[in-house]
Amino acid sequence: MDGAAGEANACAFLRESGYEIVARNWRTRRGEIDIIAREGDVVVFVEVKARTSDEFGGPEAAVDKRKQRRLIAAARAFGASTACDLPMRFDVVVVRPEGTTVIRDAFQVPS
Amino acid sequence: MFARILSGVVVGIDAREIEVQCDVSGGLPTFSIVGLPEKEVSESRERIRSALKNSGFSFPAGRITANLAPADLRKEGVGFDLAIAVAILMATEQITRPQRRLLFVGELALDGAVRGVRGVLPIAMEVGDDVDGLVVSHDNAAEAAVATDVPVYGVRTLHEVCSFLNGAQEIRPTEICINGFSEQAEIIRHDLSEVRGQLQAKRALEIAAAGGHNLLMVGPPGAGKSLLARCLPELLPTFSRDESLEVTRIYSTAGLLEAGDALIPRRPYRAPHHTISYAGMVGGGHGVPGPGEISLAHHGVLFLDELPEFDRKVLETLRQPLEERSILLARAGISVRYPAAFTLVGAMNPCPCGMLGDPEQTCTCSARDLMRYRRRLSGPFLDRIDLFVDVPRLPTDELFEPNACESSQEVRTRVDHARGTQWVRYEAVEGCYANAQLDGEALRIHCALNNEANTLLRKAVARFALSARAYVRILRVARTIADLEGADRVLGKHIAEAVQYRASGLWMHNA
Repeated sequence: MDGAAGEANACAFLRESGYEIVARNWRTRRGEIDIIAREGDVVVFVEVKARTSDEFGGPEAAVDKRKQRRLIAAARAFGASTACDLPMRFDVVVVRPEGTTVIRDAFQVPS
Repeated sequence: MFARILSGVVVGIDAREIEVQCDVSGGLPTFSIVGLPEKEVSESRERIRSALKNSGFSFPAGRITANLAPADLRKEGVGFDLAIAVAILMATEQITRPQRRLLFVGELALDGAVRGVRGVLPIAMEVGDDVDGLVVSHDNAAEAAVATDVPVYGVRTLHEVCSFLNGAQEIRPTEICINGFSEQAEIIRHDLSEVRGQLQAKRALEIAAAGGHNLLMVGPPGAGKSLLARCLPELLPTFSRDESLEVTRIYSTAGLLEAGDALIPRRPYRAPHHTISYAGMVGGGHGVPGPGEISLAHHGVLFLDELPEFDRKVLETLRQPLEERSILLARAGISVRYPAAFTLVGAMNPCPCGMLGDPEQTCTCSARDLMRYRRRLSGPFLDRIDLFVDVPRLPTDELFEPNACESSQEVRTRVDHARGTQWVRYEAVEGCYANAQLDGEALRIHCALNNEANTLLRKAVARFALSARAYVRILRVARTIADLEGADRVLGKHIAEAVQYRASGLWMHNA
């Protein structure tokens, strides 16, 4: 399963779970956000991790500190460009052959 | 999306009310705690996040700011966890806002359990009329309830707190049975009658208890010095509720109360090892200095076995608290005063080998050894000790004889009476609580001697070449002996007995 298929799969999964997809592959110079969605009043930045096997560690392990920083920078840019004042959250959607799961509130902005 | 509730923090043994303000707003997910939090307070973010999730609540998205006001006071300890968690739940409307003003103190475990923290008693004492209730860990409920009239609600989990606030669950305020205290305070666990022989030492203990005098026992190993010292706390006047509250407050601050403890029913007995550090003895540590052994022995006994083995610097620091009955620990940016009104009991061998003065064994120490040993105790330190008593090795036949001596209960009745007399007598004398603090004018008035007593004291002073200090000490001790007997005036026989407890000739610089 490649990245694009994984993201399509994730989108379908999120819609089923009651999220509303706002944007896909939102890009800035600093980083990229796979999916931006809304769940009620909360803006959710979703990172999609697709894996065919856990040979190189689970996909959860792939969102390391460096990746988190890039996502946070991109989210900041998104917030600034849309003047969005809603609460925000980072989720990670894990796409595996045996099923798709979501890690809600996967990480926070360190203070 | 804003909420505020109350919490509290201890600084030394004093407490301050803290307002916890919480704001949840839009933006990237951050959680910050401001208001001069120390590291353990900042770490509470992780505990709160897990505790909320594991208690079935959602941790809000967006930006969370918690402020601990007044913001210029340094915040230590883990007692804010509960208050911050409840404030977040209130701000996000996951629980209803209480109509009453409640104060929350407790640490959260990751699973949402509410753990006990130190210093709850001082916080409860500080609670004003404007607070309608205290919510604390079940472990701390008893100590909080003894210190305040405000209802105290003991809780076990964050979930329970929320059902309580939502009105889904009733929690009955903790009630403390006071009667148990005085009964427990009466119990004697280390009785004088269990120690064989040593009548003179027992008498010295009685005098020490009755006049608040410090005591030094000199004797070979195995003579029973430690056993005797262990009896002293229960010879001291009956432990009052007010005294116990002061002691419990210190133990609460130090985190030494067991879960569920209310008032400590017994006078403290502290016997630190001679390797104790300066900070361990008088108090200290990083951040806000904590209480040391001298404060943990407040209203009780501090027993220093092998006195000359203690670091001389540590012993010298005792001099000031012995006079002032409290200790001021001043550090950069913070100073804390802890009470330290203790009776000092020292014990030591007569010489390094322990055999000096023994009728059957020979001492192998040289004169130089002996001098070096004795010199470890400074003159000014020994000046604070009123009673010196020899505790010799028991002769064989005395060891096997049936023990016929008074019980601690009988002795304490006399002590209570003697202390009562002094209490009334010194009511108007500032800085004087018992005969041990008698000095100057008060000493002259209350220890006025008749001719017979005066002549006797003169003779003793001349014969043993006593210093002015030793003279004062004899007068104080004689006053206590007279009080034990219920005599108004100090008579010759009281002087005669008091002279026996002076420092022996081995401390010439001091005698």
